[in-house]
Amino acid sequence: MIEIIIPKLGLTMESAKLVSWEFASGDKVKEDETVLVIETDKVSFDVPAPADGIIHPVAPVGTDCAVEETVGYLAKDQEEYEQTIKEHPSAVSEGAEKAEMSVSEAVPPEDPQDQAPTPVMTEGRIKASPLARSMAAKHDLDLRAITGSGPAGRIVKTDILRALKEKPVVADRVSEITSGAADKASPNKTAIEDIPIKGVRRIIFDNMYESLSRTAQLTVHTDACAEALMGLRKRLKRDDHKISYNAILTKITAMALRLHPNINTSVEGDSIRLWKQVHIGLAMEANDALIVPVVRNPDLKTIREIDHDITELISKTRDNRLSPDDLANGTFTITNLGFADIDHFTPIIRPPESAILGVGRIIKKPVIKNDQVVPEARIGLSLTFDHRIIDGAPGARFLKTIKDMIEDPLLMIS
Amino acid sequence: MSEREISCSSALAEAMAEEMERDETVFVIGEDLTAHGGIFGQFIGLSETYPGRIIDAPISETCIVGSGVGAALTGMRPIVDMHFADFVTTGMDEIANQMAKIRYMFGGQAKIPMVLWAPDGAGLSAAAQHSQSLESWFVHTPGLKVVVPSEPADVKGLIKTAIRDDDPVIFFQHKRLFAQTGPVPEEEYLIPIGSAAVKREGSDITILTYSRMTYMCLEAADQVAGAGINAEVVDLRTLKPLDFDLISESVKKTNNVLIVHEACLTGGFGAEIAAKIGEELFDHLDAPVTRIGAKDVPIPFSPVMEEFVLPQVSDIVEGIKKVLNR
Repeated sequence: MIEIIIPKLGLTMESAKLVSWEFASGDKVKEDETVLVIETDKVSFDVPAPADGIIHPVAPVGTDCAVEETVGYLAKDQEEYEQTIKEHPSAVSEGAEKAEMSVSEAVPPEDPQDQAPTPVMTEGRIKASPLARSMAAKHDLDLRAITGSGPAGRIVKTDILRALKEKPVVADRVSEITSGAADKASPNKTAIEDIPIKGVRRIIFDNMYESLSRTAQLTVHTDACAEALMGLRKRLKRDDHKISYNAILTKITAMALRLHPNINTSVEGDSIRLWKQVHIGLAMEANDALIVPVVRNPDLKTIREIDHDITELISKTRDNRLSPDDLANGTFTITNLGFADIDHFTPIIRPPESAILGVGRIIKKPVIKNDQVVPEARIGLSLTFDHRIIDGAPGARFLKTIKDMIEDPLLMIS
Repeated sequence: MSEREISCSSALAEAMAEEMERDETVFVIGEDLTAHGGIFGQFIGLSETYPGRIIDAPISETCIVGSGVGAALTGMRPIVDMHFADFVTTGMDEIANQMAKIRYMFGGQAKIPMVLWAPDGAGLSAAAQHSQSLESWFVHTPGLKVVVPSEPADVKGLIKTAIRDDDPVIFFQHKRLFAQTGPVPEEEYLIPIGSAAVKREGSDITILTYSRMTYMCLEAADQVAGAGINAEVVDLRTLKPLDFDLISESVKKTNNVLIVHEACLTGGFGAEIAAKIGEELFDHLDAPVTRIGAKDVPIPFSPVMEEFVLPQVSDIVEGIKKVLNR
């Protein structure tokens, strides 16, 4: 009998949430087949079977498990399997409901559904008559959003009929929020597909909402002359290997952060924590999801070293090889939409960080110098910061420092 | 079809006369038949019209049922009058081991075209040994058909079908319903065994019942109509075979079920129906299937106590409200 454990995917990883079991107890699995999906606060990970055998999941879906905790067993034959289920009773089916509950808890408290919990919800299992369940399934109603009027709060036919009447108001909103499904009441719209919000998408979903709903975000825009930046890049080119703009901008931002420690901060409880280290995350697109691997200590590295780090992180992202350590403990983020001809935008802070730099395209624009209109390469810059802890002037000054360093990279060593 | 109002007794007598006229192999055997015309006067006049075909037997149910089984084996169509349904106990081997099983045990070479006619039920202060509703014993014995009619028209249509049936049929007729009148067609008609009937259409709850309780349920349905509850009353008429198609149709419409029978609750036929509905119509149920039956005690002699033990209209009204959570 082999134990199935939560693997340690990175130095900082302490626990993972059990997202789903891909097999039921008693199923035969092959070595390296994905048997279990886990999720840290950064990534989701497919856990492969350590060997061929008969699987017996024990830990219920939705629970947080410590690293190296045993969550299931793999028996080599039927006899061993029967022994295993006797020794290790499963809590998996019970957990399915818990998982459902935790999803509903994960909806931010601003949601009115959550503020007025129905009495049935508090009892864990939703009481509903078989008819009410089949009607709710048919009409795609969420039983959690319906108050039961039957004995002991049981949801009965009349409650479903009432909910159906109210459906255009409530039910569609619930389904929009929970599943992103198209408005079913409208005859003019038909859904191609309903994509469940889970895994990495669920993390992004929750983080973005959390960010905008819990902080006071202010974005300031400027642009900088990019001629010196382009010149620097040219000078750093070696053996046809071009240094990326992101590497230079990461170095510039890191040096600017050293001069503005009030930006390199997090809100921790009742205090503002200033970080000694600078770790800059770079927003990347991977498998239709936003992912932000982190460059460690760019203030202490050369641009070439940073470029090497970024290249490595990009290749890890493409091959899905990122570990939670690659994603953890950023103190600031850079996001670049220049490739899409964007000049300025309003990036959203990634909590617990307090600021994010949005980089636009480099393009020649007419500028006035000595009362003459001349062409000059310009780069768009947008800085979003948490106005709760960073006032407008220091925020703007930080962006000005970045602008100055872009226009005169020598200032980086000041 | 033209109709007139006659009692269950008259409907039964008419059916017997018609079948005896139609088929000379039909005869009746039982106790006190010629002298009294049957214990409830149900056969008055028949012995004069069909001399020799209404046979008085000694007081031995073993012999009476045994004679019926033997006669049926030789090609006759006997109607065995049990006097009181309670007396089946002394003829039980003949009923359960012979009548029910012979066709099966002889590989279909013999048939038992026989009716065991048994007046059952309480409400006449006839005490524990003369007041029982024993239908569950027989639905639990494969090989028997069990008929439990309520209104006169059903009695006539079903007893005629039972007499013509080539297999043994137990025909329970409730004592309290002999005098019950109702419209019965003038013309000849038959009601197939295994067909239930909606006696009152409704949309809120299905009341499944049979025999005397049909009338009690109809009264309860009328009472709750005032409270805005539209109850459907289904008279099962036959317990085996059971008309589950009609039950299913009604339950799918109302989503609520109350089962009412006079037999005591524990192990009563209501349990069988409830289980079947739970298995096959689960997704259509909006409330637990609820049963009403007599209390689990011998039927008392005292009229007050007897009434206390048997389901009353008020119990059914309460049952309806409980199912519907009103």
